[in-house]
Amino acid sequence: MNRSSRLPWTSLKLIVACIYVFMLGPILITAAVAFNQDNRSYFPPRGFSLQWWGAAFGPQWLQPLLFSLELATLAALISAAAGVPLAFAFQRHEFPGKSLVRAITLGPLILPSLVTGIALLQFLSLIGLGRWMGFWALLIGHVVICLPFSVRTVAISLTAMPGNVESAAASLGATPYAVLRHVTLPLAAPGMFAGMIFAFIHSFDDVNLSLFIARPGERPLTVAILGFLDFGFAPTLAAVSIVSMLIPLALVAVFGRFVGIGDFLYQETGNG
Amino acid sequence: MHLSRRSLTPYLLIAIPTAFLLAFFVIPSAVLLSMSVVESEDTIPTGNLTPDNFATLLSNRLYLNAIMRSIYVGVASGAVVVLLAYPLAYFLVRTTSRWKNLLIAVSLAPLLASVIVRTYGWWVVLNREGALNTALRSFGILDQPLIMLPSTIAIIVGLAHALLPYGVLTIMASLNGLNPSLERAAMSLGAGRARTFLSVTLPLTAPGIIGGFLLTFAIAMSAYATPAILGGPTTEVMATMIRRFMLELLDWSLGSAMGAILLVSAMLLLLLTTMLGDRRRAA
Repeated sequence: MNRSSRLPWTSLKLIVACIYVFMLGPILITAAVAFNQDNRSYFPPRGFSLQWWGAAFGPQWLQPLLFSLELATLAALISAAAGVPLAFAFQRHEFPGKSLVRAITLGPLILPSLVTGIALLQFLSLIGLGRWMGFWALLIGHVVICLPFSVRTVAISLTAMPGNVESAAASLGATPYAVLRHVTLPLAAPGMFAGMIFAFIHSFDDVNLSLFIARPGERPLTVAILGFLDFGFAPTLAAVSIVSMLIPLALVAVFGRFVGIGDFLYQETGNG
Repeated sequence: MHLSRRSLTPYLLIAIPTAFLLAFFVIPSAVLLSMSVVESEDTIPTGNLTPDNFATLLSNRLYLNAIMRSIYVGVASGAVVVLLAYPLAYFLVRTTSRWKNLLIAVSLAPLLASVIVRTYGWWVVLNREGALNTALRSFGILDQPLIMLPSTIAIIVGLAHALLPYGVLTIMASLNGLNPSLERAAMSLGAGRARTFLSVTLPLTAPGIIGGFLLTFAIAMSAYATPAILGGPTTEVMATMIRRFMLELLDWSLGSAMGAILLVSAMLLLLLTTMLGDRRRAA
C-alpha cells in the first residue's frame, strides 16, 4: 500500500486508541484509587495500602456480596428452568396466542426494569404482600427480568440445531422421551448455560429494579454501594466496585469459552 | 374443537412460566398504569379517576425539567455512543491484527460490570479534588479547581461511557452484514476512499447506527445509577424523580404517572426501532 492510502487507517488507529483510553481509563483509575494510604480518593494514589481491600471483605460488604451471589444464582437457575420450556414451545410448536405469550416473555427485556420495579413494589403492597419486600420480591423481580435472556439463548440453540435431527431419531424408533433426553436437551444445553450466565450477570449487576424492592439487611451489593453514596466516595468503595466487577468477569472467563458465549452475545444483538 | 394430546403440549410447556409472568409482570404493570390515573392518598388509592397526576407533572417546572432532561440525556448519550462506537466497530471488523479477538473482548468487557462500577470511575476523575483537576493544576493550566459535578454533561459522559459496548455490538453486526464486494465495486468504478465510505459503507450501515442510537437512548433515558452518582438536586431526571416519589415522598400516584410516561416513551422508541427494522427487511 502506498502512503496516501495508509494515512486514513493510521488516523483511525489513533482515534481507536483514544476510545480505548476513554473506555478503560475510569475503571483503571477506580482500581488505583483503592490503594490510597489515607481514606481519600486521590488519583494518582498517595502512599500505598491494602487496608481498603481488606475492608471490602469485611462484614459490611461481605453480607450484601453473598446476598447478591445467592440471588443471582437462584435467579439464573429458575429462569433457565422456566426459559427452556418456553423456548421449546416457541420454536417447536404453533399455537394460538403464541405471539402474545412471546411478547409477554420478552417484554421485561425491552421495557425499563425501573418501571417493572415500581410496578412490583406497588402491586405487592396493594395485595398485602409488602412483607415480601427484600429477598422474595427481589427473587421474583430478578426472574422476571432474567427470563428473556434464557428464552432467547435456548431459542438460538434450537434454531441452530438441524431441524430434522429430532424426526430422524423418532423415525429410527426413539420414543418421544428418548428424543428429548438424548437429542433435544443435549443440543439445547449450550443455549441454556449461556442463558444462565447472562441471567446471573444481569441479576448481579441490576440496580434499577432492586433499588425499589430491597430493604435494609436484604439488599444486593449494587444497592448497598448506592446507599453508601451519601457518605461520599471512599477507597473502600473503589475496592468493593472492583471486586464486584471481577466476579462476572471470572464467570465468563471460566465458562464463557466452554459455551461459546460470544456467539450468543452476537446473535442476541443481531436479532434485535 | 378436538383437542388431541399433541395440541395440548405447548400449553403445558408455557403454563407455569406464563402464569408467573402474568402475576408478577403483566398485572403489576397494568396496575401501575391504572394507578397513574387514579386519585390516592399517599400510597393508598381512593378509586376516583383523575387526570391530575399527569397535569401536575406537566405543569410543575421541576417535574417537567426532569422529563425534558431525561430525553435530552437520552438523545445526547445516544449520539455520543454512535460517534465513538462507529470508528471502534469499523476498526474491529476490518482489522487484520492478531489481537483482533482480544480487542473485541476488551471493548465488550465493560458490559460485565455494573453501571455503578463504571460510573464511580467518572466520579473519581471529575470531582473537585479528582484526577482531572489534579492533572490540570499540576500542569499549571488552572489555579482554581473546575466544578464539574453535579452536571448534566457529566451524566451524559458517564452514560455514554457505560453504554458504548451496546453501540459497538449493534454497529459491528451491521458492518459484518455488509457485502465487501459492494465497496470494492465502488472503488473499481473510480470512487475514492472517502467517497466510497460516504456513499456506500455509511448508508448501508445506517440501520446499525440508528439501532444503536435508539437502544442507547432507551437505556439512558431510564438510567438511575449514573444520574444519581454524577448528578444532584439540580440535575434530576425521571428515574431519580421516580425514586424520590416512591421511596422518600411516598407519593405513589405521581410516581406511577412518571413511571407511565417512562414506559410509554420506551414503547414509542421500541415501536420506532421495529418500524425501521421492518422497512429495512422490506427494502
